Amino acid sequence: MKQAVEVKPVQETFPPGAGPVQHTSGERAATTPSEKIGRVLEVLRGRIAPQERFASAPRPSLPLGLEVLDSALPGHGLKTGALHEVLPAGHGDFAAGIGFGICLLARLLRERPGKILWVVPNHMANREAALYPPGLAALGLDPNRMIQVEARKPIDVLWALEEGLSHAPLAAVAGLLPDKARAYDFAASRRLGLRAARHGVTALLMRDRHACAENTAAETRWSVSTLPSHTLYPGQAGPGAPHWRLQLLKCRQGLSRRLSQHWDVEWDHETLSFRLPAPLANRAADHAHWQRDASRRWAEAS
Amino acid sequence: MALADARAIHPALKVAHADLQGDERALIRLALWCQCFSPFTRPDFPDGVSLDITGCAHLFGGEAALVDTLATKLDGFGLTARLALAPTIGGAWALARHAPAEKLIVSRDALHMHMAPLPVCALRLEHNTVEAMEKLGLKHVGDLIGRPRAPLAARFGPFALRRLDEALGHEEESFHPLNPPLLHAAHCRFAEPVVTQEAIEIAIQRLACDLYVKLEKAGKGARRVELRLFRVDGWFEALPLATSTATRDAGHLAQLLGERLERITDRVGFGFEAASLTALTVENLAMRQDDLGDSPQSGRTGDIAPLLDRLVNRFGAQNVTRAAPHASFLPERASQAVPVLRKVSDHDWQAHLRHIQDGAAFARPLFLFPVPEPVTTLAGVPDGPPSRFEWRRVAHRVVRAEGPERIAPEWWRAPFGASRKTRDYFRIEDDAGRRFWLFRDGLYERDEEAPRWFLHGVFA
Repeated sequence: MKQAVEVKPVQETFPPGAGPVQHTSGERAATTPSEKIGRVLEVLRGRIAPQERFASAPRPSLPLGLEVLDSALPGHGLKTGALHEVLPAGHGDFAAGIGFGICLLARLLRERPGKILWVVPNHMANREAALYPPGLAALGLDPNRMIQVEARKPIDVLWALEEGLSHAPLAAVAGLLPDKARAYDFAASRRLGLRAARHGVTALLMRDRHACAENTAAETRWSVSTLPSHTLYPGQAGPGAPHWRLQLLKCRQGLSRRLSQHWDVEWDHETLSFRLPAPLANRAADHAHWQRDASRRWAEAS
Repeated sequence: MALADARAIHPALKVAHADLQGDERALIRLALWCQCFSPFTRPDFPDGVSLDITGCAHLFGGEAALVDTLATKLDGFGLTARLALAPTIGGAWALARHAPAEKLIVSRDALHMHMAPLPVCALRLEHNTVEAMEKLGLKHVGDLIGRPRAPLAARFGPFALRRLDEALGHEEESFHPLNPPLLHAAHCRFAEPVVTQEAIEIAIQRLACDLYVKLEKAGKGARRVELRLFRVDGWFEALPLATSTATRDAGHLAQLLGERLERITDRVGFGFEAASLTALTVENLAMRQDDLGDSPQSGRTGDIAPLLDRLVNRFGAQNVTRAAPHASFLPERASQAVPVLRKVSDHDWQAHLRHIQDGAAFARPLFLFPVPEPVTTLAGVPDGPPSRFEWRRVAHRVVRAEGPERIAPEWWRAPFGASRKTRDYFRIEDDAGRRFWLFRDGLYERDEEAPRWFLHGVFA
């Protein structure tokens, strides 16, 4: 595994037949140093990847439909065939976290054939996490393509997820783990990630907010909190489209400066994509939002 | 007696139509069941079953013990049976129907003596032959025995004499047994009782391979199989298994059964001495080429039946479900969970959603609580949405509200503990942006007490 990493072998990676074309592009790329470094890193990654134990085929990534989000992710989108985690930011954001996960699945299902496996412990399926299929359809996910499995214990959830990940015809598996699930640790998440990489099935795991500090092998970890919705037209009394604040807590191969950043996005159930909200004049809700932020800051300070 | 006369005598008479075909089917089933006493049985329509017990009686401790066992078991089924055991088929037929005793065992020597007092209709003759005999005074079988045969044959035909000879054993009669239904099964016996799980798993793999060969030859796939493990003390453990599609894949079946072995680990006792794997329900399954390689990429795409089988096997059929829409406006009835083992086609959810939420977007929540949770509210106007509410001891201030969406109860259904009041649903957003689905159970002006508020769902 020991390999002297040099910049020189970069030149060898060009196919010998395509000399002149490569030269011109190479010269053009070399005009800006940052691009050159980027290219060098790309080639080095390509050399290291086959020497890793599981050389999985490169999987396409799933663009989220919003440029600012996609540019923060390596590969310009959410990596398929990998494990991703979604956590709610606070106690009342449980539904927002699940909703964001459902939206990701809806977007994935548009790109990829197959069904999704939704695994949930049965004590949650009968109470606070009882998914309502018309509500799924309202968010844009076709309930025909979802199979719900009610497991008994968290360890059964993980078993079902692993089984699902080894079946390539599935589009994705998604699981919900209850508070403080001891069975889910770094090793368990690594198993899920490896299986996902081998068969190309995406895994999505919804956690509770206590899991923020855990160390897992997930590819990305998102934190979702609810925001007051924007009205679509003046005088609208009811709530608008789902409006969330997304934060990327972890991203492998990502840039660290992105991690402190957050995005306020809305979900568009017709185009199945995220969009930036276009606020109308809405003083009251903004005020309330400011108040909530202030109280949160106060709580953190104290 | 005509039905009208019978009703005149007893007006409360219960009348049931004769189900002749059903009786025939039941008789065939009974004849098949009787194959536990002898491999050769057949139904004698309309009211009897014949068993050829040649060479079988000693297995049950003799002829008398066999008849007793059979009588006890039939009595346990609630059947009133008359049993006769005779050296000839015709003799047994006659004695079972016309002998005075309910249980009778007749040896070859005593056959003439027992047959003689029976009426001539006991000889399985045609109706007009019997009538002609009775007119001539030949009322009992004994009247025919010993008479000159030529006049009898001239008068009643050779058939009547042949029946008499068959009943008395002077002529052979062939027995056409019922063919048992073809059962796809594999058996194996162990030289020594097996105790360990690994050994049982190996046996299961061998059985599954045998069953695969048999099913493939017949062009069938199994939907239900049963594994039986026979313990040395005579008890057996049965492991039934249902699959989502017809399959004969030996590896798949062995894996599914192997996962179920945990359930019987504490009942192994002194070990199992034999095992059998039976396909109880089979379906036609066309021949298909097996995979050439076993790499995951080359697997057949689109087939998740093996995965569903494993999930159902572990969590139970009720816990692996798919959603199906239901034509109802009541939120809790608008969708239902269907086990994946039941075959359903895909549904048009978008049309269903447009129908129930009537054009609005995001009008149905992501989570719907099976039991609506009561909330305390503070409403500005009686008919309007609440301005504050408290749910699970947390107060929420309402910033936005939309409604009411009025959903009337389904009066044509008998309510199962559900409220039969009209509900007014409101979509509510609190100051933190959380969205809830609240309803008021009942209307102000109609009911005596103030209607209560419930939280039924949460939006994403």
